[in-house]
Amino acid sequence: MNPAVHLDGITKRFPGVVANDDVDLEIARGSVHALLGENGAGKTTLMNVLYGLYQPTEGTVVVDGEPRSFASPRDAIDAGIGMIHQHFMLVDPMTVWENVVLGNEPRTWGGLRVDEAAAREAVVELSERYGFDVDPDARIADASVGVQQRVEILKALYRGADVLIMDEPTAVLTPQEVEELYDVFEELTDQGKTIIFISHKLGEALSAADEITVLRDGVNVGTVASADVTREDLARMMVGREVLMEPATTPREPGDRVLEVTDLHVEDDRGVEAVSGVSFELREGEVLGIAGVDGNGQLQLAEAVTGMREPSSGSIVYLGESMAGASRREHIDRGMAFVPEDRHERGLVMSYDLIQNGILGSQHDPPFASGGRIDWEASADHAESVIEAYDVRPPNPDASAESFSGGNQQKFIVGREFERDPTLVVATHPTRGVDIGSTEFLHDRLLELRAEGKAVLLISSKLDEVQGLSDRLAVIHEGEFSGVVDPATVTEEEIGLLMAGETLDGEGVSGAAIHDAVGDGLGEGSSDDTDGTRGTGSDRETTADEGVDA
Amino acid sequence: MRNPLADVTVPVLDDLIDDDYVRSLVVGVGGILGLLGVLGLLFPGSVAGDLAGIVFSTSTAASTSRLAAPIVLAGLGGIFAEKSGVINIGLEGLLIISAFMSVYIASVVGIGNAVLGIPAIWIGFLSGIAASTVLAGVFGVVCIEFKADQIIAGLAVWLIALGLAPFMSTVFFGGVNTPNLGASVGWRYSAVMVAVATLASWWALNHTAFGKHLEASGENPKALDTVGVSVSRVRYAGVLLSGVLSGVGGSALALSIGQFVGSGETMVQGKGFIAIVAYLFGNYNPLGTLGAGVLFAGLDATQIRLQQLGYAVPDTLVQTIPYVVVIVVLALVGRTRLPAAAGDHYETEE
Repeated sequence: MNPAVHLDGITKRFPGVVANDDVDLEIARGSVHALLGENGAGKTTLMNVLYGLYQPTEGTVVVDGEPRSFASPRDAIDAGIGMIHQHFMLVDPMTVWENVVLGNEPRTWGGLRVDEAAAREAVVELSERYGFDVDPDARIADASVGVQQRVEILKALYRGADVLIMDEPTAVLTPQEVEELYDVFEELTDQGKTIIFISHKLGEALSAADEITVLRDGVNVGTVASADVTREDLARMMVGREVLMEPATTPREPGDRVLEVTDLHVEDDRGVEAVSGVSFELREGEVLGIAGVDGNGQLQLAEAVTGMREPSSGSIVYLGESMAGASRREHIDRGMAFVPEDRHERGLVMSYDLIQNGILGSQHDPPFASGGRIDWEASADHAESVIEAYDVRPPNPDASAESFSGGNQQKFIVGREFERDPTLVVATHPTRGVDIGSTEFLHDRLLELRAEGKAVLLISSKLDEVQGLSDRLAVIHEGEFSGVVDPATVTEEEIGLLMAGETLDGEGVSGAAIHDAVGDGLGEGSSDDTDGTRGTGSDRETTADEGVDA
Repeated sequence: MRNPLADVTVPVLDDLIDDDYVRSLVVGVGGILGLLGVLGLLFPGSVAGDLAGIVFSTSTAASTSRLAAPIVLAGLGGIFAEKSGVINIGLEGLLIISAFMSVYIASVVGIGNAVLGIPAIWIGFLSGIAASTVLAGVFGVVCIEFKADQIIAGLAVWLIALGLAPFMSTVFFGGVNTPNLGASVGWRYSAVMVAVATLASWWALNHTAFGKHLEASGENPKALDTVGVSVSRVRYAGVLLSGVLSGVGGSALALSIGQFVGSGETMVQGKGFIAIVAYLFGNYNPLGTLGAGVLFAGLDATQIRLQQLGYAVPDTLVQTIPYVVVIVVLALVGRTRLPAAAGDHYETEE
């Protein structure tokens, strides 16, 4: 039997870059195939070639034994290939069925009227055949992310897709939704569909795929059966060397209280309450991790703490003083470093070079400023030292920020903020878009800050990151802490439940130390029990198995 | 703010309009008119009686229809453009250019003559539509092809028409006002055109593939592009339709009296801007736009009649009502929501 898709010697060059270099890839019909690699390894480019968004510089796309040339996605769709992008292409105010049939509406009245009954029926029929539980009349705006993803899959199936390409399908899902997605994969492949998904997470490639192809620097490093490899093998293939899988944490020695947040309420830009009564405290030499699906108030919480957003009520006490009404500059002057979520909007001025970007936030302070003028020499030295220490490539401080790749921009921002000699670091998604090697470095650096006695508020959607680095782990759901747990003992499933807004009652949970967000678990005596569990070897191993993705 | 009218149920209306806000608008206006009618019947000699007499008179119906046609038709056009993602604030200019061209071409053909069996006045009417559509097409090219700022381009459309129409009138007729054609299009034609255009627009937006594409184009153009529908084509269609419908409105306005008045802000007198108010008030629903347009025009017509009866109603105050209403509606009720991608340019990748 012919493979569903055969990519034969695909090379894709962009001016100055080879994104894919002579990639051969065969994908068996009815299989789930993971395309694994670091950011910039060429995974998405390769799939865009298959989907007709890009034309290959060299090589041939063979679908079901027939060589094809796709001028546009239209051609690819006609050949039975569907792609589900990382950002969903759905129209929010329209219903599920309207979105599914968009562009291919069944018509009546001589093509004049959309045949609504037929369209709904087609959607219901597809939805039932693949066991999706989707209401055809629900508005997309009201549907959960998991449902939206299924609508995207339905869109592809409705257009007759036999091969489904999914770009980072789990990035926006809770662990439970990920499990449901794997069930969907199974249902689809049982009925002869082929799935290719792009990922940079080892764990999900291992658990969901039959075969895994690893790309590195645009080259196919190898295709392996997922049953035959370990996480370490894959990591080695991705990075090209041994990777330390677990950041080495030491028992913490919490010092003085740095930050105390009490009953904080924060509204988002639309005036909807995003943070609804969060309380916590943070001490010197402590990392408090905040896990949660993006959009559950983490961003607004970070903005409130760093003085970028006025809370609607509640108090933030930093180093013993209330920060109410304090300006952003006062926050910086008092030693608060901030790695913002959106590096383009808030982390960098894209048209500035790295020298200028390197002093953002410190532009009033010596050694960069004296007598109202900026000392560009000192600024350049500073930028160079950050570039060197954080391995920003290419190491050119005179280049504008926009000329760097996302991962390198991120490294530069983190470097700038970490080197500020802060008392408190608020880091949101500090390693987003950064490759494994640099992620490792940033993690080590963060733990060094902790060892130096800095307080760190770490917000990340990467579970392994928050779990591996934090002393305490708070899970946020719809603006509230659904639980504060010991990262050393909690399981990924338990975090998943918390992320979905469920609560864990002490009875039913194995080994996890559950603290109430405002209860005594966070008070003076809290260090004892968390310290106690952190060191124990057996518990550490379970998290290593379940928690680490990259 | 909870809207008490949203809970009122009216059998046929509830099936027709699934938007609470628009339904309550229609129910509210209907209720006020009904109350006025009852009061008028009960107290014939009072102010309410006079008012009811005016509101329900044929002459008020005629002038309401005449005043409402450009507002509602341009408003419907504005819906098509804005739903597609192109905010057309040049509706005023489209009304002006079509008002002038309809009269000019009708006079060139000559009342009493016909082309291809079509009487001159209707040739004028069609020419007005054509002129407005061409100007809208230029606006579309500037905004969609050359990615100009839609607001600035829209203002340019207005200013060009505002200058060009009286200028051409001066060139061809020796004054900013054209002479009267001595023929006109009766108000019943306008009323029928408004009714047909409203229902057709409503149906097209809700039940055709084009309507769905239009919505997708204004909300998430990328979603439309990835399913293989050209966003540019949908947007051109939306903008051209705004030209066609505004052209009908402008021609109907000028030909209802058989003359183009080009002094001051011209005879269009801000109706294109009130049209924008009307469709925002109507929350992009053609039926709501009709309701808003008739309400505004009705107030204006009533005010004119009241003046004639000797009541001292300040006309400038009545004319500000639409603008006050839209601010109240936008600020307090907050139900009107612009399409998410309105005003944004869209470019296909690669």
